[in-house]
Amino acid sequence: MDLARHDAAAVSAPAVRAAERSAILACVGLRKIYRMGEVDVRALDGVDFELRAGEFLVLLGPSGSGKSTLLNILGGLDVPSEGRVFFGAEELTDAADDQLTAYRRHHVGFVFQFYNLVPSLTARENVALVTDIADDPLDPEEALGLVGLAERLDHFPTQLSGGEQQRVAIARAIAKRPSVLLCDEPTGALDFRTGILVLEVLDRINRELGTATAVITHNAPIAAAADRVVTLGDGRVYGTRTNATRARASDLRW
Amino acid sequence: MWLNALNRKLLRETRTLKGQIFTIAVVLASGIVCFIALRGTYASLLASELDYYDRFRFADVFAQAERVPETLARRVEALPGVATVQTRVAKDVTLPIEGLSHPAYGRMLSLPPSGVPTTNAIYLKKGRLPERDDEVVLLEAFAEAYGLEPGHHVPVVVNGKRRSFRIAGIALSPEFVYAIRPGALVDDPKRHTVLWMQRSALATAFQLGGAFDDVSLKLAPGASEKSVREGLDRLLAPFGGNGSIARKDQISNRIVSQELDQLGVLSTMVPAVFVGVTAFLVNLVLGRMIRLQRPEIATLKAIGYSNVEIGRHYLGLVFVVLLPGSVLGLAGGLMLGHFVLALYGTTFRFPNLEFNLTAGLVATAVVVSAVAALAGAWGAVRSAVRLPPAEAMQPPAPARYRRSVVERLGVSALIGTSGMMVLREITRRPFRTLLSSFGIAGAISLLILSHFGLDSLISYFEGTFRREQRQDLAVVFAKPVAPGVVAELARVPGVLTAEGLRAVPVRIRYEHRARDSVMMGLPRPNTLRRLVGHGGPEVAVPADGVVLTQTLGDVLGLRIGDRPEVEVREGDRRTVRPVVVGFVDESVGMSIYAQAGTLAALEGDLGAVSSVLLKVDPLRTAQVDAQLRRSPSIIDVSDARGDMQRMLDMNTSFMNVWTAISIALSAGVVFGVVYNNARIGLAARARDLASLRVLGFTRGEISWILLGNQALEVALAIPVGLWLGRAWARQFMSTVDQETFRWQVAIAPRTYLLSVVVTLFAAAASALWVRRSLDTLDLVAVLKARE
Ligand SMILES: Nc1ncnc2c1ncn2[C@@H]1O[C@H](COP(=O)(O)OP(=O)(O)O)[C@@H](O)[C@H]1O
Ligand SMILES: [Mg+2]
Repeated sequence: MDLARHDAAAVSAPAVRAAERSAILACVGLRKIYRMGEVDVRALDGVDFELRAGEFLVLLGPSGSGKSTLLNILGGLDVPSEGRVFFGAEELTDAADDQLTAYRRHHVGFVFQFYNLVPSLTARENVALVTDIADDPLDPEEALGLVGLAERLDHFPTQLSGGEQQRVAIARAIAKRPSVLLCDEPTGALDFRTGILVLEVLDRINRELGTATAVITHNAPIAAAADRVVTLGDGRVYGTRTNATRARASDLRW
Repeated sequence: MWLNALNRKLLRETRTLKGQIFTIAVVLASGIVCFIALRGTYASLLASELDYYDRFRFADVFAQAERVPETLARRVEALPGVATVQTRVAKDVTLPIEGLSHPAYGRMLSLPPSGVPTTNAIYLKKGRLPERDDEVVLLEAFAEAYGLEPGHHVPVVVNGKRRSFRIAGIALSPEFVYAIRPGALVDDPKRHTVLWMQRSALATAFQLGGAFDDVSLKLAPGASEKSVREGLDRLLAPFGGNGSIARKDQISNRIVSQELDQLGVLSTMVPAVFVGVTAFLVNLVLGRMIRLQRPEIATLKAIGYSNVEIGRHYLGLVFVVLLPGSVLGLAGGLMLGHFVLALYGTTFRFPNLEFNLTAGLVATAVVVSAVAALAGAWGAVRSAVRLPPAEAMQPPAPARYRRSVVERLGVSALIGTSGMMVLREITRRPFRTLLSSFGIAGAISLLILSHFGLDSLISYFEGTFRREQRQDLAVVFAKPVAPGVVAELARVPGVLTAEGLRAVPVRIRYEHRARDSVMMGLPRPNTLRRLVGHGGPEVAVPADGVVLTQTLGDVLGLRIGDRPEVEVREGDRRTVRPVVVGFVDESVGMSIYAQAGTLAALEGDLGAVSSVLLKVDPLRTAQVDAQLRRSPSIIDVSDARGDMQRMLDMNTSFMNVWTAISIALSAGVVFGVVYNNARIGLAARARDLASLRVLGFTRGEISWILLGNQALEVALAIPVGLWLGRAWARQFMSTVDQETFRWQVAIAPRTYLLSVVVTLFAAAASALWVRRSLDTLDLVAVLKARE
């Protein structure tokens, strides 16, 4: 297995160099294997991927295709079984736990399917969770203004609708001025209309702040709003395409 | 900024957990209260004792004889290892106080001409030293009992002559920190005192000019107590010396030390229960909180909080408990400490008894509590820290229930569906159920531990009165009298039976071991002072040979048939080797029993008695008592049952306070455990319970489903707690010096009942408290909420 890893690294050396130049976040030959008792589940089976500076990328694939696993590894929440991960020129592959924590703390913004707000904190305080520990953050009020919630600063999560909660989560993610914004099914728990609203916010953040954004979805029509679309299936990259024009979120239908 | 978002989160969650945090803080505070009060009292008493003994030159060795020429003092001083020597005259007197049916017993001690003895100095609290022949200094407790002040007069019968003495001063003495009449089991300040007067006057009254009958000395540093005592015994033997006593066996000191030892043990044992329960409750509440917050913990990690920051955040809850708990505990401990020390102060008289709250004590209390709470938090917080951020993105799997063994036995038909739900909840978390029960059991055991001492004492007395000491009155003479007195006393109207006893001081040796003891000569038949063997059978006093208390036999390693050497320590000082024919089971004392005839032969006389036991017509006891006391040769008429009753009466208010405190502390623990479990059960199952209500279950039915768990925990805890209390009491007793007391631990049914009732009440109260919120369960809100 060690040999295999060396071979993979040797073969893809040019790709690594390319990734270092152009990509803000990249991985090569990524494998993630879960041992479930007797059987091995190959959640990722040799994935090469990159997220480029300033782009809006959609990661498309059916349920169980490994999208979350990939995003978790890129975001420093998880480590691969095999392969290498880079953040700019920095290698994250064998980073220690505290290095990964620092990476998440300063560079990554996460948006989750179920918002994951702290129920005992108001919208403002949920954002402050991040601004308390980031280096050069936005004000919580400013971040909430960007997602259109300037009026709801002191509301608790239970007092907000799902879409509003997700927008608070986005404000929380962008308040640290992250290098990358990683969103795992941000519209998955929302109805169509609210989903559009959330996508609009993500789209606007990407355009206004220039934050490289990766959005996971199993919902194919959303891909039209992306600069680039990467399709995953069975733990492998099926294809990558670049959209000539990026559709407006409000024009999407599904 | 300390009030960052994470701390706000802690603060808000604290508010929703306020009931639970409060109950845990109370349990934690209770532990600190007990520790500060008991340990603080212990330390204060110990410090007072050391300081007192040192400043007032409490002697290292004590001895008495009949009449020793003063010139011998120089030879005592010359013994290697002796630092200072103080001789004096010490005599028994009686004080026929007006209004008291019985004259009080007094010990009259001489003061040297300077008024300042080289050993056993007195501490004058009021007045001055005696300057005239008819002046005395009186022990404080007695003066207080009768409201006597300097300038008042007291009647004292000195060597058979009634005299009136003017009280010059009121004093304390290191020899009488605990003042107890010889032979009595508890102190009685109304009926026993110590007086000091000028030596010349006392010596004249007892024809002891140029002589002494009592000597005490201090040892030089590093001196051998054993060899000094041997030398002293040798010097005093020709003058009626009957063996010296080391400081550790001096009666007041021995009782004070024993009490201190017990207090020392208690001051660590009792807080341990609270500390354990605190750790458990912190673990319970924090563990629950962390399990519930898995998604939030994962989120915090995902947005960049480090493990250390998250660990610190949850440990913050510990400080929310620790801070009020410590403040409450220290304040309560200080109050209770003052109270307990003051109680000790009424029995143990020290010149200045101050509750000393040292920084070390406070630090120990707080640090131990903190460590306990942190230990309880540790497991829970570690699971939060270890939570991998990615895995926790999924909500926790729904609780898994299984059909338990019990269910498969087919009891479901018996207990119904709601019973089944209770049973499943318990079998799902057997460890929590066990720990909860154990915490409640700890509280129950505390109640038993706080009561068994008195129970055992009463049981000892009652057992002794029933089996061994069946007399109504015991008549004690100033010196042994001719056996004919027994027949005389038998003729006193109202006396039904009279039996003489003789007590002779002896030293018993076997192999290399030796002990000072008393040999008792018993009459034939002995119906009032019986000997009882192990398990209850009466042991006949042998015509030949001796019977020993089991304790003495054990200490010397004697078995039936052995022949120890017994040296009589008065008269001709003969030595004999009687055969041991049996053992008796007595809790107190190391005595040797023989027939009066055997003893007379040993002494080489026709027999004598030092006390007479009487069986009296119950209607005429007071009359008989009064008549006997008029005889000048009788120094005391004691009524052991009355003594016991008086002792109990005197301690009632103390016992009531003690009972109230122990009830409050134990109830707090029970309440805390039941409340927290029920709250957690409610939080975890509100949804299920609300669904059941929607299905049409009544409030009572869902209450039972929720609280049935707690009921079972309490039911399980009660037998365990009762057993634990008993085991603890035994363990505690085994730390007490086995030579002086060999108590049987006895726990009165009343104590068991009290423990059970307090537990049930506290449990019911907390269950009702939680049930209130069950009654107001908002069905819609609960079903909509995430949990
Ligand atoms: N912690 C895990 N343990 C075991 N198997 C896992 C774990 N996480 C994901 N998997 C498996 O890996 C595969 C990919 O999962 P995931 O990345 O969540 O897919 P997606 O997000 O595309 O739906 C699935 O088969 C899933 O069951
Ligand atoms: Mg997924």
